Amino acid sequence: MPAVTGPDADPQRRSVLKGGSLLALLFSVHGLPVLLSPRAAHAQGVALQVLTNTQRATLEAIGEVMVPGARAAGLAEYVDHQLAAPFGECLLAARVLDIAPPLAAFYRAALANIDAAARQTFGGPFATLQGPDQIALVTTMTTKDPDGWHGAPAPFVFYLLRNDAIDVYYGTVEAYERLGVPYMPHLVPNKPW
Amino acid sequence: MSEEKVDVAIVGAGVAGAILGARLAAAHKKVVILEHGPNWKSTDLVSSQIWSRRIKWGGARVEQSGKNPVGYNFNMGWGSGGSAIHHYAQWPRLHPEDFRSKTLFGRGVDWPISYEDLQPYYDRVQEQVGVSGDAAREPWRPPGAPYPLPAMKIYRQGEVLAAGFAKIGIRTAPMPMAILSQSYKGRPGCIYDGWCDAGCPIGALANPLITDLPAALASGAELRSSAVATRVLMSKDGRHAVGIEYFDASANKHAQYADVVILANNCVQGPRLLLNSATSTHPNGVANSSGTVGHYLLTHFASGLKGMFDVDMQNHMGTTAACLIGQDAYAKAEGSYTWFIPQAQKLTDLLGIANVDGTLFGAALHDFVRRAIKGLGSIIAIAEQTPRAENRVSLASTKDAYGYALARWNNSIDEREQKLFITMRAEGQRALKAAGATQIWAPESVGFQHIAGGLRMGTDPANSVCDSYGRCHDVPNLVLAGAGTFPTEGAVNPTFTVHALTQRTADHLLAHWGSYAA
Repeated sequence: MPAVTGPDADPQRRSVLKGGSLLALLFSVHGLPVLLSPRAAHAQGVALQVLTNTQRATLEAIGEVMVPGARAAGLAEYVDHQLAAPFGECLLAARVLDIAPPLAAFYRAALANIDAAARQTFGGPFATLQGPDQIALVTTMTTKDPDGWHGAPAPFVFYLLRNDAIDVYYGTVEAYERLGVPYMPHLVPNKPW
Repeated sequence: MSEEKVDVAIVGAGVAGAILGARLAAAHKKVVILEHGPNWKSTDLVSSQIWSRRIKWGGARVEQSGKNPVGYNFNMGWGSGGSAIHHYAQWPRLHPEDFRSKTLFGRGVDWPISYEDLQPYYDRVQEQVGVSGDAAREPWRPPGAPYPLPAMKIYRQGEVLAAGFAKIGIRTAPMPMAILSQSYKGRPGCIYDGWCDAGCPIGALANPLITDLPAALASGAELRSSAVATRVLMSKDGRHAVGIEYFDASANKHAQYADVVILANNCVQGPRLLLNSATSTHPNGVANSSGTVGHYLLTHFASGLKGMFDVDMQNHMGTTAACLIGQDAYAKAEGSYTWFIPQAQKLTDLLGIANVDGTLFGAALHDFVRRAIKGLGSIIAIAEQTPRAENRVSLASTKDAYGYALARWNNSIDEREQKLFITMRAEGQRALKAAGATQIWAPESVGFQHIAGGLRMGTDPANSVCDSYGRCHDVPNLVLAGAGTFPTEGAVNPTFTVHALTQRTADHLLAHWGSYAA
């Protein structure tokens, strides 16, 4: 049995991170690579690479209904960043839910379905609906396909997008701090994910 | 890269591939290990449930069919270390009865070996790797040497839930874990931060990045990452394997020739590789004269329950692994199951706190998380699935990027297993209630964990793929390693048994090298 050698031999234990920097991704800002959290990318208005503005609006609107605060936490920036990554490097829950790549195609179809269902029942795309109508549509999605829905089952789409919103909102050091529980990472990553 | 013929070509750098690579390279065999995914270092492993998806399967898609599809990508590993990087390191042994389930219970098939054959290897491995536990407190424990390390710490969740089980007459004991309760052989003890399933970067949890891959590389084995094995290459007469066809990260095709070929990839990709390797001399796939390659795939069906408590369960502390085990329901005629009492629970991912009730959203979700992060208790029972031919891997009509058929996995549980699930679920509800839960979540849908079988061992070439050392009946220099060779799986986590079986295979390979490499 070999002893642990090299960088593992004396790990920095229980490093305390500040400001949610654990979830830091390499975004392109004005053509330059910058290490940002999804929240910071959202605040800086980082341009998306995969999703259109319409798709972004739908994703942010439904994510905000599912997990209030997800929009500012960088839901669209996080999902878009990961849709641009090779499947083997992807961090989205879609990976472990066995969705067939390319994942961008699945997301585009799902977001289009949400808008189609919103139009059929409430007369407009999801992002433009009043709050109670948005909640009504999402409530339907938890158990069945809304009217006008096609493609992957709505409860599955709900589960997937809800997980994305949970990831950006709750998957950070600052989220644990807000809840009064220490995050306790073993090691601080020394390079971007 | 050099492609000279080597002594051994191994597909897969998980537990079995790493052990065989280390043992054979130490014996001066020239070894090449082909790994589908990236080559991880311990320092790559980030304490995050989001990041942990990087070490879950990221290769060719597996299609699903049957009544009870199983999450493949979530269960399988990606890259060096394989599934053991994200495994929880719960290391109970199989029981003697597990090796004789056909004889004792009329279910499945008997193994070609007994517990007594494997016991010395369990004992050897636990001393090598470092297993923490308290043998005296496990009334169900099969014969074996005491654990080399004292049991791991138990936090409040374990205490509260163990009391609940005790009230309904179910015994629990500290979980044997391949995690160091104190420093051992130069490795540090666990710091109980609860990020085990994102990979342990400090080396307290035994995964191949710590246990065997460094030894394999130090002895001269070569690890080629991003190397996608697509076919076992056969001699013209079909009597011997001559190597492995694979594609590199740039999609260039290569052939690695070897005297001995070892498939140590997983229980789905292993059968897929053999089936995709069909030739005129092996028209149904290599090593498949029995027609059983891919059949008798196994998984554990599970009932996971949660309860809300009015005490701080210290969910942020401990290990991902259960701190306690209960096996009063083991080796029974109606089927074996094991209770696990987990401890550390994190917020995100499929098994995270925020997904306990997957329909909650909005303010209700936030309110739930605020209460659950301290008050949630978790228990899970896993049960043995009986091997059935129809639970199998076959080739799908869809092809991968290299033109080879994807795997299709068919899985269903039967009526007896469904009844056992209901029994486990009801028992879990009683335990949570007895422990003081104010609210209980007991999903009616069956969960699944762990994958075994598909390349089962046996003595009869007519109904098994390989012998007890993993040597294929049809192809004497082709060896199968890992959980795929399990004829049955018991109701325990497979990794300890994979270690033990693989060490036994390594002993046999080295003692009979001439007959393999002839």
